[in-house]
Amino acid sequence: MSLSISNSNQQGKSPMTSQKLYGKTIFAIGLCIALALLSIHLILQGMGANSQGALGRVTESRAALPKIVKEPNEVVMFFGSSMTRAGFSPRKFDADLAEQGKQVKSFNFGFGGLNPYFQDFLSRRIADEFVKEDRKIKLAMIEFNPFQTTQTRWNNASPVLDSFLTLLANDEELMEIAKTDLTRGIRLFNIKYLRGSISAEMITSFFARELFPPQAHQTFKDDDEIIAERGRLGRLLGEKFDEEYPNYKGEAWSYTWQGGGTIPQERSEETLAIFDDYYRVTQTDNMMKNDRLSRIRSADIEELNFEPLLVEHFINIIKNFQRVSENVEVMMLPKNSKWIKTTPAAEKRLAAVVKQIEEATGIKMKDHQNLPQITSAMYRDTTHLSRYRGDIAYTNYLIQQYQNIL
Amino acid sequence: MIFNTPIFFWFFAIFILFYGFVFLKQKPKVYLILVGSLVFYGAWNYSFIPLLVGSGLADYFIAQAIYKAPTQQRKKQWVTLSIVLNLGLLAVFKYADFALNSVSELLTTLGYHASLDTLGWVLPVGISFYTFQSLSYTIDVYRGDMKPRKGLVEFVAALSFFPQLVAGPILRASHILPQMHAIALPKFTAIKHGFLLITVGLIKKTGADILAIPAQHAFEAKGPISTLELWTGVLAFAGQIYGDFSGYTDMAIGIALILGFSIPLNFRVPYFALSPVDFWRRWHISLSTWLRDYLYISLGGNRHGNRTRNVFLTMLLGGLWHGAAWTFVAWGAFHGAIITATHYLAGLRIFARFNQSTTWLVNFIKWAITFYLVLIGWVFFAANDLTSAIDIITNLHVLNSTIASGNNAMTIFILTCGWVLLVHIMDFYVIKGADKLENKPWLFWLLMMLGQGVCLFIGEPSNEFIYFQF
Repeated sequence: MSLSISNSNQQGKSPMTSQKLYGKTIFAIGLCIALALLSIHLILQGMGANSQGALGRVTESRAALPKIVKEPNEVVMFFGSSMTRAGFSPRKFDADLAEQGKQVKSFNFGFGGLNPYFQDFLSRRIADEFVKEDRKIKLAMIEFNPFQTTQTRWNNASPVLDSFLTLLANDEELMEIAKTDLTRGIRLFNIKYLRGSISAEMITSFFARELFPPQAHQTFKDDDEIIAERGRLGRLLGEKFDEEYPNYKGEAWSYTWQGGGTIPQERSEETLAIFDDYYRVTQTDNMMKNDRLSRIRSADIEELNFEPLLVEHFINIIKNFQRVSENVEVMMLPKNSKWIKTTPAAEKRLAAVVKQIEEATGIKMKDHQNLPQITSAMYRDTTHLSRYRGDIAYTNYLIQQYQNIL
Repeated sequence: MIFNTPIFFWFFAIFILFYGFVFLKQKPKVYLILVGSLVFYGAWNYSFIPLLVGSGLADYFIAQAIYKAPTQQRKKQWVTLSIVLNLGLLAVFKYADFALNSVSELLTTLGYHASLDTLGWVLPVGISFYTFQSLSYTIDVYRGDMKPRKGLVEFVAALSFFPQLVAGPILRASHILPQMHAIALPKFTAIKHGFLLITVGLIKKTGADILAIPAQHAFEAKGPISTLELWTGVLAFAGQIYGDFSGYTDMAIGIALILGFSIPLNFRVPYFALSPVDFWRRWHISLSTWLRDYLYISLGGNRHGNRTRNVFLTMLLGGLWHGAAWTFVAWGAFHGAIITATHYLAGLRIFARFNQSTTWLVNFIKWAITFYLVLIGWVFFAANDLTSAIDIITNLHVLNSTIASGNNAMTIFILTCGWVLLVHIMDFYVIKGADKLENKPWLFWLLMMLGQGVCLFIGEPSNEFIYFQF
């Protein structure tokens, strides 16, 4: 700040004209910033931080939509959070219905880390694709996840908010935002077109998580023996996978996973027994306590203080599917009530939100939270159903419930 | 519209195209600055533009009236009108709700059930800055320190000059008006220096946003936290508010330099201060000198044996200037108290040698005491209320071994200390040796690219500037 320096150009030997001076200024500063931006792009590419890295499965699923709308069979789509992802087996669903002579192709559109705000934009893209091809979804099942709709969840999403938005919204939607908030709109277009949808906040959040991992995961510790056994069984399951799927191809399987994934019938008795052992050492009381704490901290899972904006966006999701579906069902997925105990006040708030959603959409929400078919042993943690146990039981239940409309 | 947003980048890029290539003469340039400044301000809330322009117009005409007034008595009446108008604006928009709430609370404490309706008005951004700037003009004319300016547009353009409009520095009319009257084409070296300041400001702001996380952890903790985390939080807030505010003013000075204007320094490595008095010579210099020249001196200054009262009152009002809350009043009072105490101790013979000594050990002790006091002051500034402030200050001095620190607490403490120190070293270098760097073009542009790159690479969502709310 050496402000004693003369900032006037008037006494120079050959004074520069304004055009020359500011031309030089724009060139120098513009080049400097452009090079800075370019180097960031290179670093991000080097780190694998791109739309694929940020929203891998979501990006894949969006890219698969043109293929999905051309499926010859009736399309069934289960749309929701990571609980949907873990709890619904499309291949079992399709195979069991095929035995009844019903040819359907079902897709698991369950994604972790997407709250209803982001899901709303994703569901618009799905609806756009079906409208464009004049195709209807035979059955759309939409998960209402209470703890994805809380204020805590919304606040925790702030570092990724704008990045995800630029990945999921189209330019018209960004322009709508710009019309009401020019500052935000320009920022979003900047992130989308100058930063490849990776915002500075997202990068900071990534490094923060790497440098300072969340504390809740480490509050309760298992014995070293159990930890070692967990590692051994995990490696063993990896080896069994290689043995049982020798022709595994990632990209093909990924699409198939949306229509399938692995099912117990394909696995050997020995592998299923290893899975039993694996669940025994990964579902210890300490692991469950840590997971519960993490859910309380990151999603307010027991108090459920809802964020009204997220509830509104959830209503939009249903409306988006109503545009392109013959049947829409909304449900709350099974809840691990052994570990997650919502308070009476939370239950009241939940009832009010359910009522609001039902009134806004005209659809009665199904409560699958405490199904007798699902036991506490069928969860892999405090919220997600486990593979070959919970997902199969729940998929069976869904087949039973909806086979008549398919 | 704030400096570290893409919208400002594009606004400034377009502005520069007009400024440097289309509007080349003095008068059109002034009009362009006025229009650009109003667009800049209006992007936040255009309904407050009339307030800004109206405030400027009123003081412009009042200054003319003061100058032409035939008697001192009449001059005094006019300047009083200016003071009432400007402070009236502040009173209505900034302090009315605070006063109503305080009266309401007082009545409740006294046993009367009273609930006074508050106005709930939005605080116009930058009102504390532009009212003080405008007021300095009429007071200077009243005191005979300057003559009123003839150009009305020039005056309003200077008052609303966008680089300093919303968060200062508080410019004196005598400084900015002559520059607005004869806008100079800057040298390229000045533009380079401006870009250096913008880059440094961006780096500081980026760091400040990250420091906000440990600061919030301490000041908004829902349960008890360890002493180490509490100290980290207080230190982080010290770094946050410095990086945030000085970063903004660095950018303001840099942008002004690119346009051919010089704006005085507002911070001079304040956490290197060796006494509370020294701190205020380095922190928010444009406000502390304003308060000295227009309040402290008006109260009588050092004369009549009332220095203690005047210092205390000036600091108290300086605290209140920052915000309408008792925490700010307490912060001002705390600084008033420590400055008064410093004056008192300096007068004692026992401290005379210590005071005059400049050995490194003595300087270190002076620095440590000053920094500690400044940190304690920030607790009042950052806390939600006085009770929380007292609790935090108490807990800072109680080593509670029953509360364990979170993971990485020591690493975060060290990183926070390191960042605050690094920013000061960077500032020190910019003040003392920027010209050496600017004379090495390759190194200069490489460092600028790296600096800009860092700020583009990382960031936190909280990108509002703290001082906007003042």
